[in-house]
Amino acid sequence: MTRKKRPDIAAALQQAGGLREGASRQVAKDSGVPEAHVYGVGSFFHLLAEPDVELRVCTGLTCQLAGADALLVAARAQGIEAVGCSCLAACDAPVPLLRGREVLPAMTLDDVRGVALEALRSPAGEHWQRAVGPELELDASASRLLHAPSYEGASFAKARALGPQGVIDLIARSGLQGRGGAGFPAGIKWRSVAAQAEMQRYVVLNADEGEPGTFKDREVMLRRPDAVLEGLAIAALTVGAKEVYLYLRGEFDRPWRAMSDAIAEFERRGTFGEIAFHMHAGHGAYICGEETALIEALEGKRGMPRIKPPYPTEKGLWGKPTLVHNVETIGCVPAILERGAEWFEALGRTGAGTKLYCVSGHVVRPGTYELPLGATLDELVEAAGGYTVGLKAFSPGGASSGFLPAAERGRPLDFKALAEVGSMLGSAGVVVLGEGVDMAWAARQQLLFFEEESCGQCAPCRIGTRFVRERLDAYIAARDGGDAAAMASALSQVADVAWEMDEGSICGLGMTAPLPLTSAMRHFPSDFPGSSTGDFPGSAKLG
Amino acid sequence: MTEVKPATIVLDGQEVAIEEGETLLELAARRGVEIPTLCHDPRLVPAGACRTCLVEIEGWRRLAPSCTTVAADGMVVRSANERIERHRKTLMALYLTDHPAPGEIAPHIVDGSEVHRMAVECGAPDDWPRMAPIRVGREDHNAFIQFEPERCILCARCVRYCAEVEAVSAITLADRGSRTTIATADDLSLMEASCELCGGCIDVCPTDALTEKLALALPAPIPDKLERVRTTCNYCGVGCQMDLEVEREANEGRGRVRRVLSPPAGTTTNDGNLCVKGRFAYQFIEHEDRLTKPMVRREDGLLHETSWAEALETAARGLLGVKARHGSDALGFVSSSRCTGEENYLMQKLARAAFGTNNCHQCAAT
Ligand SMILES: Cc1cc2nc3c(=O)[nH]c(=O)nc-3n(C[C@H](O)[C@H](O)[C@H](O)COP(=O)(O)O)c2cc1C
Ligand code: SF4
Ligand code: SF4
Ligand code: SF4
Ligand code: FES
Ligand code: FES
Repeated sequence: MTRKKRPDIAAALQQAGGLREGASRQVAKDSGVPEAHVYGVGSFFHLLAEPDVELRVCTGLTCQLAGADALLVAARAQGIEAVGCSCLAACDAPVPLLRGREVLPAMTLDDVRGVALEALRSPAGEHWQRAVGPELELDASASRLLHAPSYEGASFAKARALGPQGVIDLIARSGLQGRGGAGFPAGIKWRSVAAQAEMQRYVVLNADEGEPGTFKDREVMLRRPDAVLEGLAIAALTVGAKEVYLYLRGEFDRPWRAMSDAIAEFERRGTFGEIAFHMHAGHGAYICGEETALIEALEGKRGMPRIKPPYPTEKGLWGKPTLVHNVETIGCVPAILERGAEWFEALGRTGAGTKLYCVSGHVVRPGTYELPLGATLDELVEAAGGYTVGLKAFSPGGASSGFLPAAERGRPLDFKALAEVGSMLGSAGVVVLGEGVDMAWAARQQLLFFEEESCGQCAPCRIGTRFVRERLDAYIAARDGGDAAAMASALSQVADVAWEMDEGSICGLGMTAPLPLTSAMRHFPSDFPGSSTGDFPGSAKLG
Repeated sequence: MTEVKPATIVLDGQEVAIEEGETLLELAARRGVEIPTLCHDPRLVPAGACRTCLVEIEGWRRLAPSCTTVAADGMVVRSANERIERHRKTLMALYLTDHPAPGEIAPHIVDGSEVHRMAVECGAPDDWPRMAPIRVGREDHNAFIQFEPERCILCARCVRYCAEVEAVSAITLADRGSRTTIATADDLSLMEASCELCGGCIDVCPTDALTEKLALALPAPIPDKLERVRTTCNYCGVGCQMDLEVEREANEGRGRVRRVLSPPAGTTTNDGNLCVKGRFAYQFIEHEDRLTKPMVRREDGLLHETSWAEALETAARGLLGVKARHGSDALGFVSSSRCTGEENYLMQKLARAAFGTNNCHQCAAT
């Protein structure tokens, strides 16, 4: 069944200045989409739904460590219409602000205090490529995702010569696993799309990078837009797609420019024949990083994840077989074509390839570091110049991976070893928390994020994210006020709710949302004195 | 020729043949296995959002929504076990934290909320801390439909019904996360939106978030004195079936119709659907101007109660008089769209055969 394509009503609303009164009706008139549905879409995306907000201040965990709240207060004191917002994928440059859709990275209190909205300037200047490492030379051990661009298209030519079957075998043999969060083997996905009976197929780039603590895709797009596009072109050629959609989060103004410039460069050269690239901007919704939510958003709808199966490989964009990949995953592809599957596989330690690890928080030089897959926290932080204070806890793969104690600093940061301790590599957004951080407070920042970013579609997540956060609030109030009875009861449903969110949610957001709290309670009981996890029959135990 | 083995699944230990394309929920219903649902309606594309209908499928890591999962050959499915029971209990306990207590629900609408019934049925704990409502209502000056967002569980049946069955799309899921609600564009009144006031959204709502305003204005009913009476809508010839919710003893024994309800989907030719007239324009039933007996206007210029014989006789005499004085074509016959096809046929027959004129019209013909 071919679905009727809807015009991009979110972009039309953006052009209309956001979801102002009457905008839905106007866009409905122009597009033929019912006005209520236009409104439903507009109200879903924060950058559209709040047209009067002038400035957003990242209040994610890393930025909170850097004093984000004070910047927010200072901006408001200036009479600026400012609100907090979720992670802006600039945790290596805290605290980023968002003026309209323009990111101002690395802002300090002094850059904000007493400064008018239009006069705000980032000390980082126009370019916000940040620290990378450990080596910047074109050496053989790295996948070269952080190096200089090349528009030769040599890998694409090689893929053409190899043919689809050859490329799929190569990708499968390389052991490349998805770098967007789930670690799914890329070869299996390519094979599955290529094997569908339906011949209309699509390739989609997931550049919605929003997992708190993660910013590697931004860095890759800024430095190697060519590699990302060449990887996409190889994928399209291989699975038989002519249309490639790039979904960049709405806050990625500079990566957008880098990618569109690179598209123009390749088009000028005619490198990829008739493969067409379409760029699509997000409008402020973390959940659109979930691949089926992303597809819904591309189709002009509210970004609510679909029920799976069917997976996008079978029924994706407009119901057609679709290959969705993360920026880093697809960026690895040209190098694999160039140097071979065995070369790539051997780069890793406990898994195939190198991995771009993002590290932020209490480290000397936050940034994106390319290390063998399976490097440890200590190795990563060493590359980043060391810890700024003694290590208390860390989050290995974004907010969704919860927290681990310092004792796990030697554990390989890979898909398997982290899953063994109830965590995950996820997006490899590593956040380091030093001594003195209250883990109840840290967990609260992550719970606020999930509550804010839940799509609200399914009950376990919509109700559960708020319930768990309210329970933690009740506990913190009781703890700080010394109310022993309330301390004992406040968290008593958390284990059950967490169990249910994992069992009953539609997508990964709801399934993992309570993990920051449950893992903090489990690994840092001294930050949760006098709490009990409940005794409802069959209650999940946190230990 | 080799026999093709029919596709089957194993449901709770029993082998069941699959009917092409059916979902696990449909298959279970066919076998008399009850699975609780909140967001399901046979008229709508399944959403899989409420999560009450999850079942266990062997080899699947996660519980699967039976309402969206199509039965496939070889599936081994369990509709009840400890895991599913625990899931239902915990899910319903969560729903209760975000839902008004039974006592807080309007006493005028006795259906109550499916959430409360289901929570009791599965033995969910009801003592979890309740959360303060964050979704607030707005005034809507339409006369018929009341929406109370804090009672809404976001099953989106109303939204999907409005789009998929009515093809109107007047309402939408709006906002997101815990603030998700149901809204029109710009929160306009339904009167300013494309709404046709069919009331179908009220009918599909499993809670009392959407209710009939007219009933809210009546004194609270005594639940066991309420009856449902199946009848045929007399507004047009389609013949939709509908259920009147009746209090026989109200109005000093004259009785009262409180609401018009839909028969369950799939049981009547109108599939439970009604239009604004059938759903809401029932006040004529008790209206003081309504004619319930034959009447004739006598010399005093007033209407007087009479027998059918005299009434018909008077009408016939009057009509024949006009024909005699001015000819057949001085007469015209206008039939009502409330008449059936047969009645309309008889009307034109009366015009042509009895009075000899082709001046015959039906009010829906323009
Ligand atoms: C809540 C949620 C958010 C996600 N956000 C992202 C994201 O920002 N970027 C991304 O590449 N994948 C994200 N994913 C993973 C995608 O669903 C999908 O697995 C991925 O894009 C597949 O590409 P890969 O195989 O290259 O990793 C997210 C998943 C979930 C459940
Ligand atoms: S788990 Fe949360 S984000 Fe995912 S579909 Fe459900 S409500 Fe939406
Ligand atoms: S009354 Fe009918 S048309 Fe109006 S919102 Fe409800 S379902 Fe839609
Ligand atoms: S108003 Fe009723 S039908 Fe509509 S989403 Fe809420 S609970 Fe469901
Ligand atoms: S940019 Fe602030 S937490 Fe990521
Ligand atoms: S009835 Fe299946 S999820 Fe709601």
